[in-house]
Amino acid sequence: MDALSQLGGGFAIALQPLNLGLAFAGVFVGTVVGMLPGIGPINAIAILIPVTFAMGLPPESALILLVGIYYGSQYGNSISTILLNVPGTASAVVTAIDGYALTKAGRGGPALAMSAVASFVGGTFSIFALVLFAPVLSRWAIRFGPAEYFALMIFAFSALSSFSGASMIRGLAATAFGLWLATVGLDPNSAIPRYTFGQIELLDGMDFVVVTIGLFAVSEVFYLLEETGRGQAFGASYGKVMITLAEFRHTSWTMVRGSVLGFLVGVLPGAGGTIASFLAYSTEQRIAGPEGRFGQGDLRGVAAPESANNAAANGAMIPLLTLGVPGSGTTAVLLGALLGLGVTPGPMLIQEEPAIFWGLAASMYVGNVFLLLLNLPMVGIFVKALTLPRWFLIPGVAALAFVAVYAVNGSAFDLVLMTLFGVVGYLMRKMDFPIAPVVLGLVLGPLMERNLRRAMALSGGEWSVLFDSGIAITLWGLALASLLVPGILRRAAAGRTRV
Amino acid sequence: MMKGRIPGLFLAVAGIAIGIEATTFDVNFMTDPIGPKALPYLTALTLAVAGLHAAVRPPPHVTWPPRAVVWKLTGAGAAFFLYAISLGFLGFFVSTTLVVAALSHLYGAAPQRGLPTATLLSTVLWLLFVQLLDLPLPIGQLWMR
Repeated sequence: MDALSQLGGGFAIALQPLNLGLAFAGVFVGTVVGMLPGIGPINAIAILIPVTFAMGLPPESALILLVGIYYGSQYGNSISTILLNVPGTASAVVTAIDGYALTKAGRGGPALAMSAVASFVGGTFSIFALVLFAPVLSRWAIRFGPAEYFALMIFAFSALSSFSGASMIRGLAATAFGLWLATVGLDPNSAIPRYTFGQIELLDGMDFVVVTIGLFAVSEVFYLLEETGRGQAFGASYGKVMITLAEFRHTSWTMVRGSVLGFLVGVLPGAGGTIASFLAYSTEQRIAGPEGRFGQGDLRGVAAPESANNAAANGAMIPLLTLGVPGSGTTAVLLGALLGLGVTPGPMLIQEEPAIFWGLAASMYVGNVFLLLLNLPMVGIFVKALTLPRWFLIPGVAALAFVAVYAVNGSAFDLVLMTLFGVVGYLMRKMDFPIAPVVLGLVLGPLMERNLRRAMALSGGEWSVLFDSGIAITLWGLALASLLVPGILRRAAAGRTRV
Repeated sequence: MMKGRIPGLFLAVAGIAIGIEATTFDVNFMTDPIGPKALPYLTALTLAVAGLHAAVRPPPHVTWPPRAVVWKLTGAGAAFFLYAISLGFLGFFVSTTLVVAALSHLYGAAPQRGLPTATLLSTVLWLLFVQLLDLPLPIGQLWMR
């Protein structure tokens, strides 16, 4: 009952005209950037962070906007996936299998509608679960001391390193690079400069907005230069954007299962939408058995991954809000935004800042309704945006990146830094290093160091304190498992194919 | 094959350099038992080990872009650097117009399309951010004389 009245208070905040407008703007921008090449939610959020700071928005309003981009991009992503077979992120790769098959069969419209409905089901279910479980988890997380937090962050790092790319080792290297960037600047405890190379501008440390925009947006500008010849030609007709009641009934259990699975996977760090959508798809394939037409344009092949990756995206908000520990690059950027707004997420957030937590949760309900309304009748307009030429789109992204990075400190030095990180990001992509762990390392690094040093101070320098509690030992075990399990699975799969 | 090992070796050397630099982080008065060296040592070790591993087992195939694209990449990188340098002097409007026009040219637009589009985009951004959102963007020293 308490949660319901709190949620009522949240709706009072979310339905204020400013917040309604921001939620709409957020999901609209999210849909567009999720769909277009070269931008993506992480860039859009990083670019808008300095803008929201400059506008002086109250923290809950700024978050409503930024988080709207985050979950809205999951919807937009499926448009280019289904119509063009161009998944914007890894979490939409499975949607492409049946989604694009449907488009080739002239049923792109129903596939788009299925994706919007499944996203809505997954989104709504997972917000419900978020409201239900986040307060429980945060009551439990109050018992976390610095040693437990340190172990939790190690778990987040190892999970993301392990799941974000082809190689766990390269993921770890990327994480370590991010952690090193986090040490640049004055050490907060002793005030000695670390790795500043005599540059005054670096004494304050690396700003994560500058690094993120460099690594993601600028490197994308470089990366896409390699394929300037290829345009986004789209001329096929896709039919009416709707599904029949019979189709809805036929896919309803698929969506429910996808939502539950997606939510559970999303709560874990590292895994997120990619693994959730793969698992949901293969589960449904197995349940359908020989009567399924998976791979040749089965609507369930769209419903399963789309409900799962939306549920996973919202599930990932739980560790971010209740523990203050994100498990992906995009949620790491959201954490950076929260800290910049003067909000410290963690077990006390729900009690100390109810307006932020409940207002955000309520706005996510509202945002999902907006997304359904936007996506069913207005898909045609979004599809037109897909035909924007690259020579217009990508330089435009660059210009927005300039504005955002300059707005952080008003310094041209940051623009140079951004360009350098753009080059680094380009080289990392070419050599198959994942980029998201760098951002996670940079944002979590200071928190991790603070907790490590606090734990050591409390124990008087005794390292065993890090493994002193059941929670800490469990988290260390999970960290180790997340590093080892993918390798073992890969080896097992390789062994099976050899036999 | 040697080429594929370079990034790993670079990472390993960087890790070692980071570790060596960390030995100089001496504090007269320690406020906590481990001090400012612990995290740098941890990252140095991880980088060095991961780098050595990547050098021993390089990624299977890295496809480098053809020469024409390398020139484009160099051009784009130079445009970004020039933007950073010229922004204070030329101001947001001129610098952004020039760099956007240059980038759209690299992306295959004819100048007679790229330049007007870039001008329009800079105008819209200036109106949006400076006039509407009160974000301070540089006017440029050249225009203040």
